[in-house]
Amino acid sequence: MSGFIEQERYTCAIGALQSVVAIPRAVPILHSGPGCGTMIAGFFERATGYAGGNTMPCTNFGEKDVVFGGVNKLRKIVENTFKVLDTDLQVILSGCTAGITGDDIGSVAEEFKDMGKPVVYLDTPGFKMNNYRSHSEVVNAIIDQYVSDFEDENPSRSRKNLVNVFASIPYQDIFWKENLKEYKRLLEGIGLEVNILFGPFSDGVKEWQTIPAANFNILISPWYGEPIAEHLKNRYGQPYYKFGYVPIGGNETTRFLKGVIEFAKEAGADIDEAKAEAFYLREERAFYEEIDNLTTFITEFRYGLPGYVHVIGDAGYVIGLSKFLLNETGIIPKEQFIVDNTPKKYEQYITDELAGISKKREIPAIFDPDAGKAQKTILSLDHSKRGLIIGSGWDREIAKKAGCDFVAAFAPVQYRLALGTNWAGYTGGLHVIEDIYNTVLSTYE
Amino acid sequence: MSEKNIRQIAIYGKGGIGKSTTTQNLTAGLLDAGKKVMIVGCDPKADSTRLMLGGLAQKTVLDTLREEGEDIDLSAIMKEGFKGVRCVESGGPEPGVGCAGRGIITSIGLLERLGAYTDDLDYVFYDVLGDVVCGGFAMPIREGKAKEIYIVASGEMMALYAANNISKGIARYAKTGGVRLGGIICNSRNVDREEELVRAFARELGTQLIHFVPRDNVVQRAEINKKTVIEYEPKCGQANAYRKLAEAIENNQNFVIPTPISQERLEEILVEYGLMDSIKDDYRI
Repeated sequence: MSGFIEQERYTCAIGALQSVVAIPRAVPILHSGPGCGTMIAGFFERATGYAGGNTMPCTNFGEKDVVFGGVNKLRKIVENTFKVLDTDLQVILSGCTAGITGDDIGSVAEEFKDMGKPVVYLDTPGFKMNNYRSHSEVVNAIIDQYVSDFEDENPSRSRKNLVNVFASIPYQDIFWKENLKEYKRLLEGIGLEVNILFGPFSDGVKEWQTIPAANFNILISPWYGEPIAEHLKNRYGQPYYKFGYVPIGGNETTRFLKGVIEFAKEAGADIDEAKAEAFYLREERAFYEEIDNLTTFITEFRYGLPGYVHVIGDAGYVIGLSKFLLNETGIIPKEQFIVDNTPKKYEQYITDELAGISKKREIPAIFDPDAGKAQKTILSLDHSKRGLIIGSGWDREIAKKAGCDFVAAFAPVQYRLALGTNWAGYTGGLHVIEDIYNTVLSTYE
Repeated sequence: MSEKNIRQIAIYGKGGIGKSTTTQNLTAGLLDAGKKVMIVGCDPKADSTRLMLGGLAQKTVLDTLREEGEDIDLSAIMKEGFKGVRCVESGGPEPGVGCAGRGIITSIGLLERLGAYTDDLDYVFYDVLGDVVCGGFAMPIREGKAKEIYIVASGEMMALYAANNISKGIARYAKTGGVRLGGIICNSRNVDREEELVRAFARELGTQLIHFVPRDNVVQRAEINKKTVIEYEPKCGQANAYRKLAEAIENNQNFVIPTPISQERLEEILVEYGLMDSIKDDYRI
């Protein structure tokens, strides 16, 4: 490891607390300095959930705790959290200092577990990994330390039509809530029962308890979240269907659903194929009806539309958007910047996916968590024609300098709200188009 | 902290080599000569001042901090012992929890805030845990608290190995903190050609053997009686040996940035001095 990187578009390991915040009525307990929680809350704005953001319990790990160990304080804060919050699950996450001094947070969690209180722990010192990875770790910790207690009532793979879905990382994907809601709607539409696990459309811990009973799992991601699917495969023998990018718009969402239907049939799920087909075709029609309506605008808007796009985002979106924008809107993906610190072994898959989009055009993918470097590269490119940048809020100024249209879509995102917007699925495609062309239309004078 | 020239000295060395015993006995020598001394024990075992206080009579800084907080008087953590020596034990967390290294940093910080370093002191000794396991235990030298280091060693391989390692730490901090090695104190274990060996080793490091302290059972007897040799048997030869060590330190002008040696070189020296044909197969100590 050497050098430094500018503008990381993710957080350190303790950012996994947002995955806990995203589980209804679950509470993260931070065994860290107060700055850690503040940093995470600041990075993911509007991320409070049930008891996150600036309200989350924290031991405010100080010098005394470094010297003497902080487990007594931790015990007290878990105890008190049960007193003041009506909570279904507490997840202890440790910061760097507790990690270095080796505080035994596991023993505290065990004590509460022995008393019948649902407490899970995970060591998340920042130097260990980033939140793309710790998201998987925290989910696996909840599976091993909490869900495992409910295995008797939920024998593995006992519900043929039930699936667990692992897709958007809560808050890291700013559209996560609506994306997950859309996945759930679509998968239910083809006849499956869905554990969506995070967000308001999850039934919280009750839903988590049934994870073992699912027949198989669905992973919508090029790499992050895969350790969860692998873990469940080992633990409960559940196979998983992997769709390696965010399905956006008509083409890809149908491809995704067809893939799921195939997989479900093989796994012995009870799917009424005719019904399932009717469902997705109707959804697809609704999508293309809007595209039809848009055709005149796309072909005739005389002020010009962006002809190319640079995405600075995570690999799942880079692939999904590249496919969608090229195939469904005609905006050509130029250099794509994958800033999620993709593990080396997944790079080939991502490059291949991008290469497979068009036979005529190569889409260069640059893997580098240094988004500052991505910005410099963008500025060095030719922008004499109208272009588009889809990135985080931090890319707005660069877009201005390059004279590009700009859509903020990735964390940290200061310049837009995403309250009821999904970018995944059929309707997601429409929302992407809305976001892009509303931006373009707002320049119309 | 006062700018008066208090000589702040840290004593390092392999665990069990006799740092605490040597520090307290040589301190007794300095006290005998009318010097004002404070000893700061930097070892979680908190046994650096036992001979000065006539037993483990001291509440450690960290225990006090844990139980009473930071709003305390100096008298809560500092006790006077033999001939007015001031004694402080840093202490540490319970074994297996927390960070003892940070504890040392916290303790010394607290001593400074409470004004323990008064102008009338001639010497402050830091008696540091044998194995410098992390940055915290290097605190006395790292932050320029102690400018002089003495390493207690013997002619045994592991003692010299540890001394060489400690020298690496000193060399590292010498550039920024101004710390210097004042010499090696040989606390004899009666091994073959010990004095020559340690002297040669010291020369390799660019320093000196400042004093050879012979092995004598009176040290053990004094320890059982919770006293330094100088207090217990002031007229014996061993008491004089410690007085001489104190004098050597008082008059020492030889301060260097050590030049640590390689493992191979260390082993060469051992072979050179440690093997004598004449006493082959005689392993009596």
